[in-house]
Amino acid sequence: MESDKNILLKEFAPQLNSTGPWGYAWISFLLAVICLGIVAFFFQVLRGHEVTGMRDNVVWGIYIVNFIFFMGISYAGALISGTLHLFRSSWRKPIIRMAEFITIISLLIGPCFILLCIGRLDKLPYLAIFGRIQSPITWDVIAISTDIFGCLIFLYLAILRDLATLRDDDIIKLSKWRKKLYKILALGYTGTPEQQLRLNRATDVMAAMIIAIAIIVYSVLAWIFSVTLQPGWHSTIFGPYFVIAAVYSGSAVLILSIWLFRKIYHLENYITKKHFVSVGVIMLVLAAFYGYFTFSDYLTKWYGSEKNDELLIRLLFNEYYWYFIISNYIGVLLPLIVVGIPKLRTITNITITSVVVIIALWLNRYLIVVPTLESPYLPIQDSRPEWLNYGATWIEWSLTAAGIAVFSLLFTLASKFIPIVPISGFHHDLEDKKEGISA
Amino acid sequence: MKKHISPYRISLVLLFSLVFVPDSFSEQTTDSVTVAETRLSLNYVCNANDSVTLSATLSVKRDITIKYLENASLFFYTSDGLNKRLAGQAKTDSEGNSKITISLSNLTGDQEDIIHYTVEFRATGIYPAATAEFNAKPASLKQSFIMEDSLRVLRISATEKSTTGKEIPVPQVTVNIYIPRLFSLLKIGEITLDDLGVGTMEFPKELIGDSLGNLTVISKIEEHDRFGTVQVMNSINWGIPKHYIYAEGPSRELWTPIAPLWMIITLVILLVGVWAHYIYAIYELVMIKRHNKKREAISPTV
Repeated sequence: MESDKNILLKEFAPQLNSTGPWGYAWISFLLAVICLGIVAFFFQVLRGHEVTGMRDNVVWGIYIVNFIFFMGISYAGALISGTLHLFRSSWRKPIIRMAEFITIISLLIGPCFILLCIGRLDKLPYLAIFGRIQSPITWDVIAISTDIFGCLIFLYLAILRDLATLRDDDIIKLSKWRKKLYKILALGYTGTPEQQLRLNRATDVMAAMIIAIAIIVYSVLAWIFSVTLQPGWHSTIFGPYFVIAAVYSGSAVLILSIWLFRKIYHLENYITKKHFVSVGVIMLVLAAFYGYFTFSDYLTKWYGSEKNDELLIRLLFNEYYWYFIISNYIGVLLPLIVVGIPKLRTITNITITSVVVIIALWLNRYLIVVPTLESPYLPIQDSRPEWLNYGATWIEWSLTAAGIAVFSLLFTLASKFIPIVPISGFHHDLEDKKEGISA
Repeated sequence: MKKHISPYRISLVLLFSLVFVPDSFSEQTTDSVTVAETRLSLNYVCNANDSVTLSATLSVKRDITIKYLENASLFFYTSDGLNKRLAGQAKTDSEGNSKITISLSNLTGDQEDIIHYTVEFRATGIYPAATAEFNAKPASLKQSFIMEDSLRVLRISATEKSTTGKEIPVPQVTVNIYIPRLFSLLKIGEITLDDLGVGTMEFPKELIGDSLGNLTVISKIEEHDRFGTVQVMNSINWGIPKHYIYAEGPSRELWTPIAPLWMIITLVILLVGVWAHYIYAIYELVMIKRHNKKREAISPTV
């Protein structure tokens, strides 16, 4: 009789050792989008930032929006995977690997958008040479690099058992180099009680650590804005507001990811409606918190009636009316309605809601960055009327598309190297399922 | 098999189409790269000491890129409408700017006393010639600092010279009042002159001057249709003296090179706390590997 691990491995074999024609088409498409991004990047390097929509007034555009967005979903992945691990949630197993992948991949892409904001990349080393601890930019560099290292360790600990399974397995025909790589990376893990104990201890410690780091790092990112005297930014609640918004957007990206992988890899037996509803409920709670923070932030600004805050709110309710409605009304209410009403809780509805939430949260970051820079406290010296308003150029959109393409490509490649559903942790559930315990 | 070919084709088509999209952009640029347009602008400021400062900026526009020309010779001329006279020559700096100051005493205007100023850049092998002109009638501003009871009052008067050489008032013009700050001019007021060409304003009390309280006050008629820019600049001891505080030792503030101690301690605690946990996790990984080696040493067949 075949072991449960072998059954699972057989199921995952086509994903790991072969790529179908549609897979190649998908990868080629992503590479083409990345090529377009590279061309746009060269245009920007050769001609400078004048090819972007950023000017003296609005010095940050969609690059910084993308940076905040990617960092947000990264921290959300860390928080969700860390929390689910620590609470030993039984339903977490099929989706926790995706949360871990989201964490590390978006954490690698996010900072690249910051580099695109820098006009003189040749002066980047000065940040390390002349960096001052008082600067929030320095905090951010330290925090992000620490976070990347921590998330890599956590991901490695989480995949170690599967690496050992793939090393020992003879069912899937893998190339020699891959077998060799799995052997090196598995660190001789055979699942002895002592090894299991050590691995569990290290994973628990790192799960707790990445939750703490994710909160600190995303707060640091929020402080870059909130310590700046700009209308709309100088707010004490920006730290927790950013953290909540990050986890909220991350939960939506997680739902979209599990829907895509469920469809592509035919994981209907492992990823069920229960998983969508569970993550959907997390999204619902976060939607309520996000709505509360948003309302609290804008209410205090509106009631304070400070001249520039009033100007900003007027801008949000006029020029950015639809952005504001989608971001702060539809983005809050839709998950509350769809997940809150049991009849509406279908896989398709929850997934569509998650897409709307992703768009809403991207727009939320846009509304935090751009309208504020369009309404500064002091007029900018020697400014021109055409510089007062921001509009992204094809260069910026191409690089944004390239960022999403890199994210999708790395996610695809990662799923070809490590099973997207953790085999080692899941085979126990399979045993339960056989006995009819599992849902 | 045939069924499998189409996705490959689709991917190839997508790849090629997207990769060659940028070519359309480069075509637009290569066509226009050979065309250069020389741009010359002339700025005029009439000073209170019967002189005018002419400053010109020379740039070259190629496609959408603007480049400032350095070390180019610019020729400044004045004219009474009939006779053109060379007033001076100056070379441009790295930002394409060049400036000369000429005395008004030797200049004559046309029938309406308007003097015509011209700046010329003569064509070189690479760049085409360019000229810029400006016409203005000389005028002058005068600042008076008056104490009225306990109030400090700034009085401005503006005059222009008639054809007979007589000074006549300039009525109903707006004069902006500035003081220079670190990066730019800070506007502190605006005076509209009456029919006698005179206007006053109460001078602010809270402006910070130098260590002696000296302030430089600049009054300007800006970009007037007839007079161009006219300015006067004086110093007055009406500011609050700035007191420099020198710390005995190196201070630890938000803006000093050395960070506050609490900040360093917080950062160290956070980083040590985090990295200690990382090291612990790595230690456990090392022990997992060692444990396997030990097992292999005891029973090599395992």
